[in-house]
Amino acid sequence: MPDVQVTIDGHQVSVPANSTVLDAAKVAGIDIPELCAHDALKPIGACRMCLVEVEKQRVLHPACTFPVSEGMVVHTASDAVLGARRFVLQLLFSERNHFCMYCQTSGSCTLQDLAYEHGLTHWEFDRAFPKMPVDASRQFFVMDHNRCILCRRCIRACDELVGNRTLGLKNRGADTMVIADMDIPFGDSSCISCGTCMQMCPTGALMDRASAYMGATDEITRVPSRCSLCSVGCGVELIVRGNRVIRVEGDWDAEPNKGLICEVGRFGLLHERRQRVRKPLVKADGALADADWDDALQKAAEGLKSAESAVVVSGFSSTEAAQAAVNQLPGKKMALGGALVNGDNAPLSVLDETDLIIVADVDLTEGYNYRMASFPIKRSARHRGVRVILLDDEPNGLDAWARYKWSPDEAERAVELAQHAEMPVIVYDQHSAALAQELAAQLPKAKTIGFAPEGNTAGLAEVGISEPFANDGFSAYYVIAGEAAEVPQELMDALAKADFVAVQASYREPWEDVADVILPSPVMFEKDGSLVNTEGRSFELKAGVTTRRPSEVEVIERLGALL
Amino acid sequence: MIDVDPREIIEIIGRNGADAPLISVLEEIQTKYRYLPREAMILVSEAFGLPLSQIYSVATFYNAFSLERRGRHEACVCVGTACHVRGAKRVLSHLEEKLGIKAGETTPDWNYTLDTVHCLGACALGPIVVVDGEYSGQMHAKKVDELLARIEQADEGEA
Repeated sequence: MPDVQVTIDGHQVSVPANSTVLDAAKVAGIDIPELCAHDALKPIGACRMCLVEVEKQRVLHPACTFPVSEGMVVHTASDAVLGARRFVLQLLFSERNHFCMYCQTSGSCTLQDLAYEHGLTHWEFDRAFPKMPVDASRQFFVMDHNRCILCRRCIRACDELVGNRTLGLKNRGADTMVIADMDIPFGDSSCISCGTCMQMCPTGALMDRASAYMGATDEITRVPSRCSLCSVGCGVELIVRGNRVIRVEGDWDAEPNKGLICEVGRFGLLHERRQRVRKPLVKADGALADADWDDALQKAAEGLKSAESAVVVSGFSSTEAAQAAVNQLPGKKMALGGALVNGDNAPLSVLDETDLIIVADVDLTEGYNYRMASFPIKRSARHRGVRVILLDDEPNGLDAWARYKWSPDEAERAVELAQHAEMPVIVYDQHSAALAQELAAQLPKAKTIGFAPEGNTAGLAEVGISEPFANDGFSAYYVIAGEAAEVPQELMDALAKADFVAVQASYREPWEDVADVILPSPVMFEKDGSLVNTEGRSFELKAGVTTRRPSEVEVIERLGALL
Repeated sequence: MIDVDPREIIEIIGRNGADAPLISVLEEIQTKYRYLPREAMILVSEAFGLPLSQIYSVATFYNAFSLERRGRHEACVCVGTACHVRGAKRVLSHLEEKLGIKAGETTPDWNYTLDTVHCLGACALGPIVVVDGEYSGQMHAKKVDELLARIEQADEGEA
């Protein structure tokens, strides 16, 4: 269909025929206020904030849902429109209990901004002061129904983007409320605490416990970076105030996550309970004690020089740190989390295009890893009718989304079905690589996504650290651990037996018992560098905050100089 | 609460088929149990592949569905403007007294559920009492007694 010509407030623009008035206004650079509309969601026209006057139409129409037509003339700032907006705002403010001065979102609230913009100085209508509950049953964020305007952004995000469909509405009219599952506390529901709803909320109804009252829009800076906690490598925005990261949000413009991040990425590091390593620690008389950098580095160098040593690098390290380890440190280099499982990975976006997904014996909803990848699988299953086949003997977080669930021993049943699919996708990780290979060999049309075990495992492989850890009887180890929490038992056993162990780590756990020297390492928020995700894409890590401690690379270089 | 036999619910779902309209299945369950048991909603959710929140949204949106068990007979007094000025309040309080419950409640023997409604659109007949979908117009205390007696008789006849 050819483009259509639309005139908005005197500006003539040409837009695709299936656009809405709101789309056209964005092209024309005209700002129309929106509460329920969001670029990532389908419009529903619930809030009525975007009402505009369309010539030859009897009444005002919501711009977010009204389709454009050839020669349409739209006014977005006429008296009728402004009056209607003010009226809608008055209604929104009179329904529940909106007291901006007590709200943590004051200063970064779309609803409040609109009220200022339209000169709402008082309540025009009598107010009911309804008693609304506050649901604080979730660990990381709180739902305050007093501030909810029922725009349904959260519900649609949970449904359209995450595919989890936990949220819904109950009752009707003034009794309508946002609920989880069958009106049970959010904390007991099928909610996976990804926090997408909170990032969507245009008011203060969803409150992040960690960053509440910590800074409004004009007091914070947003630093676009990457989450390096798992190999998806989601694009994030670090919300920083006073050299401190107070919140992490998904970056709407970033691939492959398109604004979504998981519970681990959003809340993990901010709620980390392990004790940070802030100063170098050296073991003396069986206990770790603070030391200065020179002594600690000297001690580490002595220990490593006196024996046959190996370097174990975790995928939490940036590619630059891994490169420095290869260049500067002697001894065999091994990858802490495991090896790259597949050099020929499809991008995660195929999950939104495929018609059949085989999840090969991996739970994408648990632990540290690849949780974001479960979102496209869930939304594909819900909205595109994509068949999801689980090959798993254990309970799996995707059970409710799977059409079929068989034991990995029955892989041939999956093959039988997938043969007729247009583009089957096989998802697996390092533990199920053999199964995935067996499947892929029988399915020539299949694309595979093999998740790298740790955030930057692919980056480590690029600089030549591709061998997984194996206990070859080294008597001294240098471990570049970063934030690593889940360490293979085999490695811990080897470290316990070794004569000397030095660790470069962000947290004392799980290293304090085995390490002779621990050198501080920055966490993801404090690092500049790059990483390569499981798709093989290279991303830039940007520090949200500065520290006085030396960087990962600097520590390795200083140690290398002593060896 | 009564025991819900999952087999009965699965039978209802199966009879309607997985692509049947959700509401008609819920209606059938409502008719059978006189409310929508939680277990039934969970089973429907699984069978239809719909999230629990959506089943619950539908179940709480429509007045025809109840999440609490209703009485065998549903009595409804119109308290709209026209009925109100014609004495609906007295009719209602008489019914409340006779049944020993307040509007919105169900008798302990599960015989009656009493409700109010704001206008049925038949104002000329006011005050109106609807029992099990049957309208009785120009009600007053004595006619309420007669109505209840008639229902009781019919029940006994059935028994």
